[in-house]
Amino acid sequence: MIVTPQILARIVAIVILGVLLQLSFFSEVHVFHTSPDILPALVVVLGLLGGSMTGAVAGFSVGLLLDCLLVAPLGESSLVLLTVGYLAGLYRERFDLSNSLTPPLMCMGLTLLAEAAFAAVRLMLGVDAPISALVVRDILVKSIYAFFLGVPIYLGVRRALRPALITERAASGRGRPTMLGA
Amino acid sequence: MYRKQVRRRRAVLALLVISSFALLTATYGQSSGGLQRGVSAVFAPLQEGADRALKPARDLVNWFDETFDARGQNDRLHTQLEEARRKAVAGEAALSENAQLRSQLGLRRSGAIPSGYQPVAGRVIARSPTVWYSKVTIDKGTSSGVAVNDPVVNGDGLVGRVTSATGGTAQVTLITDPDSAVTGKVVPGGAQGVIKPEVGNPDDLVLDFIDTSQRIAKGEDVVTAGWRAEGLSSLFPPNIPVGTVTEAPIAEQEASSKVHLRPFADMRSLDYLDVLTGGSRN
Repeated sequence: MIVTPQILARIVAIVILGVLLQLSFFSEVHVFHTSPDILPALVVVLGLLGGSMTGAVAGFSVGLLLDCLLVAPLGESSLVLLTVGYLAGLYRERFDLSNSLTPPLMCMGLTLLAEAAFAAVRLMLGVDAPISALVVRDILVKSIYAFFLGVPIYLGVRRALRPALITERAASGRGRPTMLGA
Repeated sequence: MYRKQVRRRRAVLALLVISSFALLTATYGQSSGGLQRGVSAVFAPLQEGADRALKPARDLVNWFDETFDARGQNDRLHTQLEEARRKAVAGEAALSENAQLRSQLGLRRSGAIPSGYQPVAGRVIARSPTVWYSKVTIDKGTSSGVAVNDPVVNGDGLVGRVTSATGGTAQVTLITDPDSAVTGKVVPGGAQGVIKPEVGNPDDLVLDFIDTSQRIAKGEDVVTAGWRAEGLSSLFPPNIPVGTVTEAPIAEQEASSKVHLRPFADMRSLDYLDVLTGGSRN
């Protein structure tokens, strides 16, 4: 990804919009007693489109903004989401993304990892209350939602960042007639 | 060139990880810092706008979920209605007796809101996405008289308390948050204990009671105890309804002095909350 100031502004807008959507909409929606969590999926998509550095920085920023708005201990969500963003970016740099199922599957798998990692961090920091087995159901259902929400998030973010994507540029460039061909 | 790029990438990653740990170490277990209050204040209008704009869509999605739930709830509500009818009749008699006793003792009838508190109605504009934090943000803050540690209720009962506040918003930690603890008492039995949540299940609270000689029965109600001793007092005023006992097996009571409650307030659908301002605080 070629990050120009304009693209950076778009990424910042995507991050803010994603966090606001999560807090004001998705967290308050309950389908089968579980709220979808789009933030790991959003970070995964940014990692898949922009690479490991974009993913890690986006994950850190999303986590920091989330912790600030929720007045939670700073760094908790950042640590989890930067890991997820970095892993998604690493996948993009090492493997092929041509299969259309890759983004939703990555969203599902890494959301599962993010939710489990968040639970692990909370448990390591100490939870002074009994823990219900429903936490496991919550983690699994959230990752299933991430599979379905991963598709529109991927398409939307890819569209918003299209001018910066090298593969998209190459694809659009191929269709144009050259001077020689004219 | 490539090696330089890899080195730079690793350095950025290490910096981010170290920053996360440093922030976590610095802020864990502390109340809200200036950064968090500042960001909350800046984003409050955006959150409020987003909340208002997205409410119809949210209601539509929740309507589908509630329709699924309604089928199962119907039978349970029928049973509860019979129980409530029986209690209402008993309650009428108790109210009449209560009014006489209050007038005899010269106590002021306090109603639903405890005396000395002024309710400030606020709308929920944001909510935590994870079960590990049960927190909501409301659109009322210190400019409306809201202060940290103010109790928060809704029409059904106790919801939580304010844990941080800016000029226009306040963060409410719900009674289902792992960090929450409320002293409660069972009525009419009077057994007292600490109400803690069960993480991940917003329909379940655990009352860890102190007096093991007392027995608690299913269906009994639990209210806030509102204790006061040696200059200290509970953050919650007494007699705010908290929940009803759903599971009270004798074996569990004897073994661990615990019973399970279902909170009266539905923590999944909180739209408007009342912050009880002006009471005693620590």
